[in-house]
Amino acid sequence: MTATIEAAPPPVEAPRRPKYSERTAHERRLGLILSAPAFIVMVLITAYPLGYAVVMSTYRYRLTDPAGKEFVGLANYATVLTDPIWWSAFSTTAIITLVSVAIELVLGFGFAWVMYRIIRGRGFIRTGILIPYGIITVVSAYIWRYAFQLDSGFINQWFGLGDFNWFGERWSSLFVITFSEIWKTTPFISLLLLAGLVQVPNELLEAATVDGATSSQRLWKVVLPNMKAAIMVALLFRTLDAWRIFDNPFIMTAGANDTETLSFLAYRQNVTLVNLGAGSAVSVLLFFTVVLIAFVFIKGFKTDLSQVRGD
Amino acid sequence: MGSRRSANWWTLWGVLILLWALFPLLWMVSLSFKDPATFRGSTPSFFPKEWTWKNYDTVFSDSLFTSALRNSAGIALIATGLSVIVAMFAAYAIARLDFPGKRLILTVALAIAMFPQAALVGPLFNMWRGLGIYDTWIGLIIPYLTFALPLSIWTMSAFFRQIPWEMEQAAQVDGATAWQAFRKVIVPLAAPGVFTTAILTFFFCWNEFLLAISLTSTDKARTVPAALSFFTGASQFESPITAIMAASVVVTIPIVILVLAFQRRIVAGLTTGAVKG
Amino acid sequence: MSAPTALGVRRRAVVLVMALAAPIALFGCGDGGESSGAAHLTWYINPDNGSQATLAKQCSEQSQGAFTIETQVLPNEADAQREQLVRRLAAQDDSIDLMSLDPPFVAEFANAGYLLPITNADDVAEFTDGVLDAPLETAYWDDKLVAPPFWANTQLLWYRKSVAQAAGVDPTAPDFTWDEMITAAEDQGKRIGVQGRRYEGYMVWINALVVSGGGQIVENVDQGANATPSMAGPAGDAAADIVGNLARSSAAPADLATAGEEEARSTFQSDQGSFMVNWPYVYSAAQESVTSGAIDQSVVDDIGWARYPAVASGQPSAPPLGGINLAIGNFTNHPDEALAAAKCITSLPSNVQYMVESGNPAARSAAYDDPEVRQAFPMADLIRDSIDSAGPRPITPYYGDVSTSVQRTWHPESSVRAPGTPEKTDTYMGEVLSGDRLL
Repeated sequence: MTATIEAAPPPVEAPRRPKYSERTAHERRLGLILSAPAFIVMVLITAYPLGYAVVMSTYRYRLTDPAGKEFVGLANYATVLTDPIWWSAFSTTAIITLVSVAIELVLGFGFAWVMYRIIRGRGFIRTGILIPYGIITVVSAYIWRYAFQLDSGFINQWFGLGDFNWFGERWSSLFVITFSEIWKTTPFISLLLLAGLVQVPNELLEAATVDGATSSQRLWKVVLPNMKAAIMVALLFRTLDAWRIFDNPFIMTAGANDTETLSFLAYRQNVTLVNLGAGSAVSVLLFFTVVLIAFVFIKGFKTDLSQVRGD
Repeated sequence: MGSRRSANWWTLWGVLILLWALFPLLWMVSLSFKDPATFRGSTPSFFPKEWTWKNYDTVFSDSLFTSALRNSAGIALIATGLSVIVAMFAAYAIARLDFPGKRLILTVALAIAMFPQAALVGPLFNMWRGLGIYDTWIGLIIPYLTFALPLSIWTMSAFFRQIPWEMEQAAQVDGATAWQAFRKVIVPLAAPGVFTTAILTFFFCWNEFLLAISLTSTDKARTVPAALSFFTGASQFESPITAIMAASVVVTIPIVILVLAFQRRIVAGLTTGAVKG
Repeated sequence: MSAPTALGVRRRAVVLVMALAAPIALFGCGDGGESSGAAHLTWYINPDNGSQATLAKQCSEQSQGAFTIETQVLPNEADAQREQLVRRLAAQDDSIDLMSLDPPFVAEFANAGYLLPITNADDVAEFTDGVLDAPLETAYWDDKLVAPPFWANTQLLWYRKSVAQAAGVDPTAPDFTWDEMITAAEDQGKRIGVQGRRYEGYMVWINALVVSGGGQIVENVDQGANATPSMAGPAGDAAADIVGNLARSSAAPADLATAGEEEARSTFQSDQGSFMVNWPYVYSAAQESVTSGAIDQSVVDDIGWARYPAVASGQPSAPPLGGINLAIGNFTNHPDEALAAAKCITSLPSNVQYMVESGNPAARSAAYDDPEVRQAFPMADLIRDSIDSAGPRPITPYYGDVSTSVQRTWHPESSVRAPGTPEKTDTYMGEVLSGDRLL
């Protein structure tokens, strides 16, 4: 099963450089050689599990009940798609993704800007901002869980919230999960954006200043357009990661109060309940949703990273 | 605009952001010094009522954690190194050269990045047992490499693409082959991208939890995130959270050092004039 | 342009690759050969304070060279332990010789053929003579002994004597019911400690209520996936009433929906503490809290204990059953040695030693008569009686499904009502078992 975004690679036009046809062939060969190792590794590892998941999803199969294995075609998909648990996980995941990515983008850009412009204490600030991303995710989840928890944390006391049980309801639980996620992964976006910021040619900025552009105009008309590729990579990968969020809900709520995410659902079906049939169907469906998101992104941004000779 | 004043202004913002980023770590340290039997209660406080080294003793008395540290470091470093090299070549090819199947690679890379890992646990486990690499370093390095490559390739492609084509053309006009152009021109310019990718990959391997827990079973290859779920309190019900925090503090210190070192490299890359003509 | 750096980068890259290749070659290789002589047994244990490892060493020495037992620890959470074992046993892992299993897992593992049955009549007698009733139930599947009990656990009713006195109730009376307890706590303006988080501990509570009321959560368990959910009925309704009333009363702790054993103990030891249902470990844990200065000695002096509360007056309660059973992996290369090792580990002297060292109650009745045990556990007889008459959780290969469907439909506690909730559970569980609903 493949999930191609475009129908097929369009025919590659060999550039017309009559004096260098040898060079072109050499270039194509070099290109294939250079990218082969990556391609081979990626495909080798994921081809079997992918195929396995697709095939498994057509069976009703409980690992601990091998005698009960039976072929059911697409019935698992019907079960999953009509199940309120799937849709609850879907909405939870969507909420967490939308909110966290939106906030992280703005916040991350702000951080990147500060990291870019700061002079005094530059080393400290840049190091410090990146550290949350280096903390192990389950540790970060524990830190925030015990901060918000009634009998061990300080949040309620500092904000005068008395007896409020953050993990007793859906919305407050989602708040804590999203908050923890934002704290942890904003550095990821800010790092990628910083790297993109740094590549904006200084001459353009200077030229714009000379032409009398305000800082806001410089931002929107010079900086951002030149960062388009970096923004897209940051946004795309962050969204894909957010969509597959697992560690935070796993540690904080274990999915209680309707805070189960799609990845968690896939995990519970495949690993905990070893209900491989339905679990594989969940995985395949999850994969499709992710493909959809990536498709929307790539079309939306209209940036083709594989284009070679300039815009 | 006074440059001294605006410099201070940026520093102030930096400090505020720093507080936001590091304050939870203070909480982590505070938890690590709390007594495991008493950190809960009806009136919990931020700082421990009584400071104790008990948790650090727990962490180091058992080889569980020290072997996990060793495994994590080794696996993450190797996977990062391999990932950066392999991805660099592929990204250069994709961004700079014309060859058939280019879009396919990017698409496949993206598809890999999107696949839910929970579904891979079973099949990978079967594969690794068959190959005899279950519970080994390489058993984790290979999947980590696989999952780190997509981001690495996409990030570095974006970097390579931003580097003006004129650079390479100039080198080629001077008679260099594509390989020489790559080595002497592109690689130094792409340094910020390379180090960015290296950091992200390292953190990915360092943080990874699901595969670490599923593809290891002894301390031969168990990494730190997996080992944390093996921490226990005095009884099976007592929360091991304070010991986990102590372990986390220990694990965070090398991270800080690493980030500090890499951060300088990125700055160095910037100041050698990435885009000066 | 920076020529030196570029050259340096390439050289460094080559060195890096070579340097990386070496460790891969080193660590990529699996383990070398086996040592001959004593059979090497691996015992997968749930985490404890080291007492199982001590037993392993002692039994190895006592075997006089027949075998050596090495312990490998599993993750902290029972679910995670099961996940690790299931995956490897499904792959017919021959390195799993002995395992410490949570009783609800026994049926599933046995049904899947992961456990080596013990068939020799003498062996069976050795494993089962003198073992308390309830744990023995969990050791069998399909009329075969598959997982002899190692140690057992139960919950007691713990209460603050001052509060009980002020409320004028006697929790040690045989007909002390949940309703009485809730009323007493309400009157005194205190909170009750229970495990209400959406996890296995909650299922333990619900199961105890249902079985205490004379009902069962699932019937016809030998039908596997076609078992009959049987929560709806007088017992299920009584249980739902208790849970729902507690949740909606002022005696409910603020964190009821997220409380585990430790949170319940926290509530109990605080000023708002009155009653608590919990495992016996809480007593020594409370004493430790005194030593570390978290609570006052007067709190510990104020703690009393009684049998798990009844659901209906005159009907003795069925306290919850926990513990660990010891099972032999079906794919082991050393079945005889594993059997001998298991006999040593579950013997009476081992039971006594383990109970004193780890604080986990024994599965054999005679252990409770030992003076050392009685000294460490002033409530030894109560524990023994409670374990003997405990109500095990449903013994079915689909236990995971049963437990999770109950947890799902009964959480949060404030939404639990009779007869709606038990009926909903039955419907949901039926659909899950037949594969028509996700869990």
